[in-house]
Amino acid sequence: MTQLTVIDESGSHSFGQVGFGELGVSSDDFARATGWSLKPEGLCKGEICVPVRDTAAMSNGAQIDVAEFARVTGRNMVIDASRNVMAMGEQASIRAASMATLDAPNFTLPDINGNLVSLRDFANRKKLILAWSSW
Amino acid sequence: MKEWATKEPLSYPVLIDAMHIVADLYGIVNVPAALWIDENDKIVRPADSTPASDMWRSFSGVDSAVHHDLLRRWVRHNELTMDADAVRSFQVLPTSEVQQARLHRRIAVSLHESGDESGALEHMDKAEQLAPHDWTIRRGNMPLRGVDPFGEKFMEFVGEWSAAGSPGFKLGTGRETK
Repeated sequence: MTQLTVIDESGSHSFGQVGFGELGVSSDDFARATGWSLKPEGLCKGEICVPVRDTAAMSNGAQIDVAEFARVTGRNMVIDASRNVMAMGEQASIRAASMATLDAPNFTLPDINGNLVSLRDFANRKKLILAWSSW
Repeated sequence: MKEWATKEPLSYPVLIDAMHIVADLYGIVNVPAALWIDENDKIVRPADSTPASDMWRSFSGVDSAVHHDLLRRWVRHNELTMDADAVRSFQVLPTSEVQQARLHRRIAVSLHESGDESGALEHMDKAEQLAPHDWTIRRGNMPLRGVDPFGEKFMEFVGEWSAAGSPGFKLGTGRETK
């Protein structure tokens, strides 16, 4: 089975690609990796739901089209079909609006030993974020 | 880097951000950069060029002590020199091109990690066409290309960036006027 790599803010996810829509993957695998699943009220992640007009184009139940998912949730995307990789991210206008709130968005990244660390692990403390490169 | 970061016991985590997620979330356009987040998870100082030392002062024109002093005053005395509107006015907001460039760069990193160098080069080229003056894209790609990030290509980039009016951080903490 061809492996499809999907890159988003939470990292790289590898899925077995199936013949549904443009970039079909198992709905269960997609929900496990991203938290998003198709419910009667729309695409949902936790408390948040996005209405889906054309449910049939999104999913046949067992499978979901990641490209259609990106379109419906208003995400930017780049697809390299010949290399079976796609990346989705935030639109500039949405990023600008979230920056303007001054709410510090959470992120989770591995430390040098591979342990995952989140900004939210440091709640109720002052935080200095230093971005640098080892080159 | 691991060797350096484990030489002394550190009181803070050192995180690896190969896909430049934090740059995307917070509008970081170059390194080294710093930003401040308060106890209520509010951004109280936006990303700005803030080297830890004066090692590159003659090149960058940034006096590192200015940021250090501001930081101490915030940590010890809760003194902030910027209100919320000032923080917003100094944020560098992304363009559509930069957001698209980030996606091409992430694909390039993924392909590079899986050994597909020609695929990685193709996506790095696309990212750089979209965001020719973003340091996290242009200079950030240099190690992936096997190019010295302090060498001739880097100086070429600095020339292009200067000719374009040195787009980047708006704040300029510690930037000397001379």
